[in-house]
Amino acid sequence: MSATHWMSASQIAQAYAAKELSPVELVTALLERIGKLDPKLNAFIRLDAEGAMRAAEQATAEIAAGQSRGPLHGVPVGIKDIIDVAGLPTTGHSKILVDNIAKADAVVIQKLRAAGAIVMGKLSTHEFAIGGPSFDLPFPPARNPWNPDHHPGGSSSGSGAGVAAGLFPLALGTDTGGSVRNPASACGIVGLKPTYGLVSRRGVFPLSFTLDHVGPLTRTVADNALLLDAIAGHDPGDPGSAATQARGFGRLLDRGVRDLRIGFVRHFHERDLPAHPEVAAALENVARVLQAEGAQVHTVTLPTLTEFAGINRVILCSEAWSIHAPWLRERPGDYGQLARRRLLPGAFMTAGDYVGAQRRRGELIAEVEDRLRDYDVLLCASSMDPSSRMDEPDETARTYSRQARTPFNVTGHPALAMMSGLTQAGLPVSVQFAGRYFDDATVLRVAAAYERATGWHKKKPPIG
Amino acid sequence: MDPVVIALAKAAGLDKALAEFPDDVAAAAAQALNNAGAVRVPTDPVVEPWPPMRAGIGL
Repeated sequence: MSATHWMSASQIAQAYAAKELSPVELVTALLERIGKLDPKLNAFIRLDAEGAMRAAEQATAEIAAGQSRGPLHGVPVGIKDIIDVAGLPTTGHSKILVDNIAKADAVVIQKLRAAGAIVMGKLSTHEFAIGGPSFDLPFPPARNPWNPDHHPGGSSSGSGAGVAAGLFPLALGTDTGGSVRNPASACGIVGLKPTYGLVSRRGVFPLSFTLDHVGPLTRTVADNALLLDAIAGHDPGDPGSAATQARGFGRLLDRGVRDLRIGFVRHFHERDLPAHPEVAAALENVARVLQAEGAQVHTVTLPTLTEFAGINRVILCSEAWSIHAPWLRERPGDYGQLARRRLLPGAFMTAGDYVGAQRRRGELIAEVEDRLRDYDVLLCASSMDPSSRMDEPDETARTYSRQARTPFNVTGHPALAMMSGLTQAGLPVSVQFAGRYFDDATVLRVAAAYERATGWHKKKPPIG
Repeated sequence: MDPVVIALAKAAGLDKALAEFPDDVAAAAAQALNNAGAVRVPTDPVVEPWPPMRAGIGL
């Protein structure tokens, strides 16, 4: 049995079944590790040790009595602090909501509790999932376990840092312009933005209604599929929720990629935003690995990143302004500077700007759909650079927008980011796979084949 | 600061932000202009916004 803090959810379930480990033993070990490492990483805004231990005791008793609730029974999970957990604060990492206690569980939390998962607490985020990393907020920003001087990505920063550091095996994040996949990329783990509408957002503080997604962050692809299985499903209370029965997201994980058609969107990292050489080299290697595994890989063209990013920003700023306008008018000083600067542009967008962006959005969706008629999965960059140092805000600002994630928020297609190597400086680099609507299973299938072929998921940050 | 930006900010109710964080307001206005300018709005009048209005779905 590997060290408990590095066990995947699948390994944990096997250990429980074999009576080699109990939820109480696992949570006790993780709480000890959190106590030792989190002061350096700041993954948690609010650790709920008492609640986690209560849930662990209940899970231990149920499993001992043979009352299994499934593969996530007794498995710890961390929750980004814009997702409501009843009785715990939902602050959005902001002074604005610092006293806000959630009255009810978000739908995804209800589903996790029904599956027997153990909520460990609330995790650091960029302020309201947009402003960070910031040092002028009520809580410090999370740090990267591969090198705590570096940014762990965001906005789901604590989710990425905590999973990568072995503080918990699973976490939930949210993704409006790439905020699940960015920390997955920076921290060397697996982050999936599911198809828009596959996972309920009810009980999640919104940033941008037509771009927001909830998604899983994990250390392995199989765990990602397990967590998606637990949280996916139609929610009539979420206006964006899709009436789909898509389930069993791990059913294709062992199939390999033989004969799959993969479109490599090279211009994203070669022409639109030229990538750091180590990122570019790793992407070429991903293509070679998948070809060696039997996939057909061909270069394809999509609209430019500049256009996707412009549309994402106009829509995001316009929708976010309609949420934040009252606070920006009355309490502008209670935001950190980054969030204030990123939210205020919505005040200067016109109705024509917003509707124009939504009209062009439909055309971009049609172009991506055209490519996905010929290809099963698209391969492209996630981040164009390794993560920046925390003490270099200009470099963080420069690299933060150099990414290829927003296209799939604009279109709503499923997209997954995962580790594709380590730089000479020991920081993770990443790759992104995107697929057809509600075919998240094929995206996970390709990711699983790549994971098996390379074994990057076995690399752990040098943090103890 | 550009008087047009000041007028737009006041129209949006951002008097406090203008007084306390004028640089942030000016930066936001410039950002909005850049972002909106990057969008190639369709010239065909029949191109509708996405997502579309779908009566009876989702409520």
